[in-house]
Amino acid sequence: MNEMSELKRQEEQAASNEHDTQKGKYMTFKSGNEYFGLEIQYVNEIIQFQAITAIPETEDYIKGLINLRGKVIPVVDVRLRFKQEPFEYNDRTCIIVINVKSMMVGLIVEKIAEVVEIKEENILPPPSIGRADKSHHKYVYGIGKVGNTVKLLLDPDKLLNDDDLTVMEQANDMVLEEE
Amino acid sequence: MAEEFSTEGMLDIYLFENEQLLEQLQEMVLEQKDAECFDEDSINEIFRTMHTIKGSSGIMMFDNITAISHKLEDVFYYLRESHPEHVPHVDLVEHVLTVEDFISSEMEKIRGGDTPDGDPAEIIADLDRFLEQLKSGGADDDETPPPENVHVEPKQFYIAPVATSASRFYKIYIHFFPETEMANVHAYKAVYALKEVAEDLLYSPEDIISDAESAAVILKDGFRILLQAQCSEEEVRKIIGVGYDIEKVDIFECKAEEFLQGFDFGESNDLQIDLESSVEDIEARIEDASAEEGSAPAKPAKPAIAPGDFVIKSREPGRQKKLAKDKPKGEKASFIGVNVSKMDQLMELIGELVISESVVLQNPDLKVPGLNLDNFNKAAAQLAKISTDLQNVIMSMRMVPLTNTFQKMNRIVFDVSRKLGKDIEFVMVGEQTEVDKNIIEHISDPLMHLVRNAVDHGIETNEERMESGKPDKGKIILSARTEAGKVWISVEDNGKGLDRNKILEKARKQGLLEEGKPDSAYQDKEVYQFITYPGFSTNEEITEYSGRGVGMDVVVQNIQAIGGALDIESTPGFGSIMNLKIPLTLAIIDGIVMETGNSSFVMETGMIKEFVRVKEDMMIHEPDGQEYIMIRGECYPVLRLGKWYGLEEYQESVEDGVMLILEVEDKRVCLLVDKLIGEQEIVVKPIPSYIKKVKGLSGCTQLGDGSIALILDAGGLIE
Repeated sequence: MNEMSELKRQEEQAASNEHDTQKGKYMTFKSGNEYFGLEIQYVNEIIQFQAITAIPETEDYIKGLINLRGKVIPVVDVRLRFKQEPFEYNDRTCIIVINVKSMMVGLIVEKIAEVVEIKEENILPPPSIGRADKSHHKYVYGIGKVGNTVKLLLDPDKLLNDDDLTVMEQANDMVLEEE
Repeated sequence: MAEEFSTEGMLDIYLFENEQLLEQLQEMVLEQKDAECFDEDSINEIFRTMHTIKGSSGIMMFDNITAISHKLEDVFYYLRESHPEHVPHVDLVEHVLTVEDFISSEMEKIRGGDTPDGDPAEIIADLDRFLEQLKSGGADDDETPPPENVHVEPKQFYIAPVATSASRFYKIYIHFFPETEMANVHAYKAVYALKEVAEDLLYSPEDIISDAESAAVILKDGFRILLQAQCSEEEVRKIIGVGYDIEKVDIFECKAEEFLQGFDFGESNDLQIDLESSVEDIEARIEDASAEEGSAPAKPAKPAIAPGDFVIKSREPGRQKKLAKDKPKGEKASFIGVNVSKMDQLMELIGELVISESVVLQNPDLKVPGLNLDNFNKAAAQLAKISTDLQNVIMSMRMVPLTNTFQKMNRIVFDVSRKLGKDIEFVMVGEQTEVDKNIIEHISDPLMHLVRNAVDHGIETNEERMESGKPDKGKIILSARTEAGKVWISVEDNGKGLDRNKILEKARKQGLLEEGKPDSAYQDKEVYQFITYPGFSTNEEITEYSGRGVGMDVVVQNIQAIGGALDIESTPGFGSIMNLKIPLTLAIIDGIVMETGNSSFVMETGMIKEFVRVKEDMMIHEPDGQEYIMIRGECYPVLRLGKWYGLEEYQESVEDGVMLILEVEDKRVCLLVDKLIGEQEIVVKPIPSYIKKVKGLSGCTQLGDGSIALILDAGGLIE
């Protein structure tokens, strides 16, 4: 009995240690001219680009389905999601598989950078200047400073689930703000 | 944390077991609802069920369930022990069902994490009244009890079937040879043989099975049996038989009174006193209505085999019965409950296996010319065989007979018809038909609606039936059969049928009819389909059960969700038939793999009527872009899959592609695809929920090369 609880305690400790080691670490990638960061606890794995089965009649940024060792998961093109120009996929293109609320989704990114540690004091709320940034507010929850560069930190849940604001809606929002 | 987990587990088991008990209970009660009364086995079974539920609920501290099951247990205890005549059977059935409903609803609360807070007081009061009624009724029937009968009233307590005038009473003494080993076992053999004919049977020593000491007593004093039976002395002698170990069998016929007093009827008075006290004890127990079976009378009798104790020991027959009852339980034990998620996991794994099998067997590496693959092919064939077997086994594991679902319908017919005062006979045909568990879950509600509708709307009231000269009993036939890889379930009634004109009128009011189209242009089937539209009900009055116009549309939606269809037939004045066509399983289907543009698609084989190569001159183009095609004198609308989904690089010309004629519910359409790849068993996987539903797609699957194909849903395409 004691042994059991001892084992259990160790396991828990290990788990919390793991959590601790993951804390404050961000997977960063490049999309367009910006660098983005995702908290590493959401990242399952990084896989090579593979054949995607397109699904008709869906949003253009949902590229389709891939087969990840028997699991069918949808993939999203991050550049298209951010309304940036599309880019050509090549064999260096990677897919980051993230797991948000037990839903697996692949993110196609232009270039994977590195894993960085960002301390909490170096994370600032996003500055709300300029209308162009408006759409970013939805899924960028903070800006992390790493040396001289900044990374836009993404909230993966919102990244996947927020409905896109159309240009019209954005315009409406702005009108409301001005009032 | 650990403790929390364990109660959780207990709760699951509690719910699971009791649910099964209740299901069995309901099945049994409904089976005999039309009988005169419950047979003895059922009474025992219901008693036992209630006892078990009471016990486990007590442990889990669900007091209201404990209380109500205790009360019903009392009623059946009385029935079992006293065999009152003239039990109002239908009332009894209703009482049992009410209790069952109460417990089910409480368990539903428990499952939902709520506290079971239903108040059983009313039902308990009802049951009390019922029990009182039974008891007083029972006393009236016993008009001429022998004087002793009053004195030793609790005789009803242990003499199983009520004595009939033809019964004769015997005292039997069996003496074994002194050197006989295990005399108790031989004695038991005699008892066992006599049980066949016995209306009641008492014997001494009592404990011949478990108590090895009894062998010595039997050898010394002989084995004594009191038998009540309808056979003659000769027959009894024959039954016991004279084996090599039996020295002598003495049989004396005696009177009932003597019989009741036990073995030592002629003995001293202190016997009577002893008898008195235990009777009081027993009486007190009855009043308490404590149903601790067996233990109540056994307690005062515990101390060994003293002369006065025989009456009490005569409880033994009760115990015998219980032993006999244990047998079916043993049979049930060959089933085990398995968590559905484990089954799903196994299913998924086998799906993976099927896929990786095709990856191996169709591996491009094997296509290198000049390879000698004889041995490989042999091994591959073996592998394919095993994996097919494996698939069949897992599929059969998921198959569940419709019996339970049908039983529920029986219950509904019973309830509703009684409330509405209609005499309805319910017939089930083919309830053993097996269907995938997932599908059963989906058809239960729609079926309930259909059956309810049939009782409420379909069958007329008794008076109406009299007027129209129909046989007085309404009849509902619920049947199931498998045909062509589908399950057909139909609900048939011999009621008034659907009123075509009424439906048309209503449809016109709701603006469902096309303008300028005469009523006669609508086929009966089309008209009947109107009742499946939302908000459509021809019933003027809203009853408790139906008439609100919700129902049929929900039925159809639910059926369509699992790829089924509803077909309505009706003959005015003679009743209607609702036919459900449902796939046997959802998990693995036979599909045709095809290609359009760069994408692969799969279509369920059953949906495709035929493949045709067509010529350009068979096409008819309408100015608005609609296309039709004439094939063998029939005209079909044409759907180009590539265009429909806006794919790239698909075949423009119909002559390069293949036409598939699809048929869903009598609607036909031609689908143009680029080329066919082949037929394959496919494992259906849902499209991840992240992607919103696309019309015409019902899922996806993995092909042999690991790529993903989308499964086309013919129904969606035709819409």
